[in-house]
Amino acid sequence: MIGVALSFGDWRRPAAIVTGAAVLLALPPFFAGGFTLHLLTTGLYYTILAASWNLLAGFTGQFSLAHHAFAAIGAYTSGLLIRYYGVPIWVGIVSGVAMAALLGFALGRMVLSMRAIYLAIATWAFAETIHILLTAAYPITRGELGLNVPPLFRNLDPTAYYVLFVALTLVCVTIMYAIVRSRIGYFMRAIRDDDLRAESLGVDTTRVKVFVFTVASAFAGLAGAFYGHYLVVLSPQMADFNEMAKLIIMVVLGGLGTVLGPLMGAAPVQILTTYLQKYGEWDLVIFAVVVIALMRTHVGGIAAFIYAGLDRVRARNKQPVST
Amino acid sequence: MFSIELLIQTLIAGVIIGVLYALMALGITFIYSIVKMINWSMGEFYMIGGYLQYLLIVEWLGADLWWVAVPLSALGVFLIGYLLEPVLIKPMFTTAVERKDDYAIVVTIALLLMLRNLAAALGGPYQRTPGSNLPTVMLGPLPESGARFAAFLCALAAIALFYLLLKKTWLGLALRAAAQSRIGAQTAGVDLFRLDQIAFGIGVGLAGLAGALLAPVFMVFPTSGVVTTVKGFEIIVIGGLGSIPGALIAGVLLGVVESLGASFIAAPYQNVYGFLLVVLVLLARPTGLFGERVRQA
Repeated sequence: MIGVALSFGDWRRPAAIVTGAAVLLALPPFFAGGFTLHLLTTGLYYTILAASWNLLAGFTGQFSLAHHAFAAIGAYTSGLLIRYYGVPIWVGIVSGVAMAALLGFALGRMVLSMRAIYLAIATWAFAETIHILLTAAYPITRGELGLNVPPLFRNLDPTAYYVLFVALTLVCVTIMYAIVRSRIGYFMRAIRDDDLRAESLGVDTTRVKVFVFTVASAFAGLAGAFYGHYLVVLSPQMADFNEMAKLIIMVVLGGLGTVLGPLMGAAPVQILTTYLQKYGEWDLVIFAVVVIALMRTHVGGIAAFIYAGLDRVRARNKQPVST
Repeated sequence: MFSIELLIQTLIAGVIIGVLYALMALGITFIYSIVKMINWSMGEFYMIGGYLQYLLIVEWLGADLWWVAVPLSALGVFLIGYLLEPVLIKPMFTTAVERKDDYAIVVTIALLLMLRNLAAALGGPYQRTPGSNLPTVMLGPLPESGARFAAFLCALAAIALFYLLLKKTWLGLALRAAAQSRIGAQTAGVDLFRLDQIAFGIGVGLAGLAGALLAPVFMVFPTSGVVTTVKGFEIIVIGGLGSIPGALIAGVLLGVVESLGASFIAAPYQNVYGFLLVVLVLLARPTGLFGERVRQA
């Protein structure tokens, strides 16, 4: 059912945008240094996380606070399987994604009938428990000491990882775009706007919610698993609530509930925080203040400005040419 | 190595810490029942309470006057909350925010980030403690740390005061009315915005009180509120959102379960038992033990 429902509609414009983005993203390795590439790779990791969380919170209205935990689940599943059972890396990554999807499915089922506030608390408690488990089970996970995992490529060439993450991001975001534009995407927005009404109009809200939870968690697990093999050392910090707060900042700055939002918000915030780190903790203080100000004035975020600009251009083109 | 003595000591320790966690949960549930939002930065107000207590004792009062410092710290946190509410929370009701719940979550999580990093920027990542010179208390044959026991007694006193405020004063009447129906209270002439401001202040003040009381027991540092917040929210889910007796009973229950688990199963997983309790309760009753049943539409 779900597979059939994913029709692209007009595929030419999205295809052109993806090609354009790929060309643009292919440029940095030619002139950027190793550190810049590392920054961009990290930014792309956060882009996948932010975009998939946006599917849940922005499009379906399921304000989950456990998204960062699924990245950690993906990374640790892969890392632990490789460490204790010696499976090949690709088996580890696939199991990481599967594990994240499975737990996402379970969590989605558990919070199904909860109202917004209970849902946030329950998902948050889930994430904190994952964090505590990863830290406390140190005989297995090595806790804060960090779990060593093998790298994906034999040489630690940043370009290879960068290219990999560009490809991953493009594939993930395209799939997400297809989901949002499909029938299910309309169901998601209907549930966000009025759960009960959607149900009374015949939307199977249970299935759609669980589907979105599972898919979004799988994306987070995928990003986490690949990122883990890029970092080479895993730490429970991946499941720290600060990560979730960062994702929220990225998506809200970019524009909650828009396809463009997380893409505009994630990488720039990550890159800015890295460069502002020399000022200590003040960078996050400032980001927090900006987010509060944005929430009070421009809820649409950066994406709203861009969409407004596009509309204006379109309106101008439609005007009859005088003289 | 099971013994009756260990069991009793474990139970007492569980009740003591449970009542302190309940203080936190009380603040969360109280703010929710009046302002209808969850304050995610409760742990940061707890942390500020701890820092105020530390500053007052180390810089000014000395460890003997801890009982003066505790109400002062709680009052300080109340004032901070009282001043922040009109800036952050009030727009939820005055401007046309489309999704109120999402607005509240984003703003209070941003506040969490801001306060946590502000504390780290101003005070550094060091773990501080105001220290305590209270002697160990003997409960029958069983010893209990003086600071812990004093915190327990103060928490009980604060809960009693809170109860009196709600039941015996005009303000309490207005608060209970607003908890039942905001529109109803407004029709009766209650200034809701002022009430929100006071309720938010009292709620975070309770968290600040817990932070001040626990400052000599646990350390004070920028993220010191995290664990207590986890407990606070777990208690809320177990006891049911909006229920004050639920918060107290669930607090003690959580404290006892954790204590028992830590003593008799495995200590490193102390913080996981609470979540198991949460999952069990949620599977049986999705709105908690004493939660309001909400009709849809």
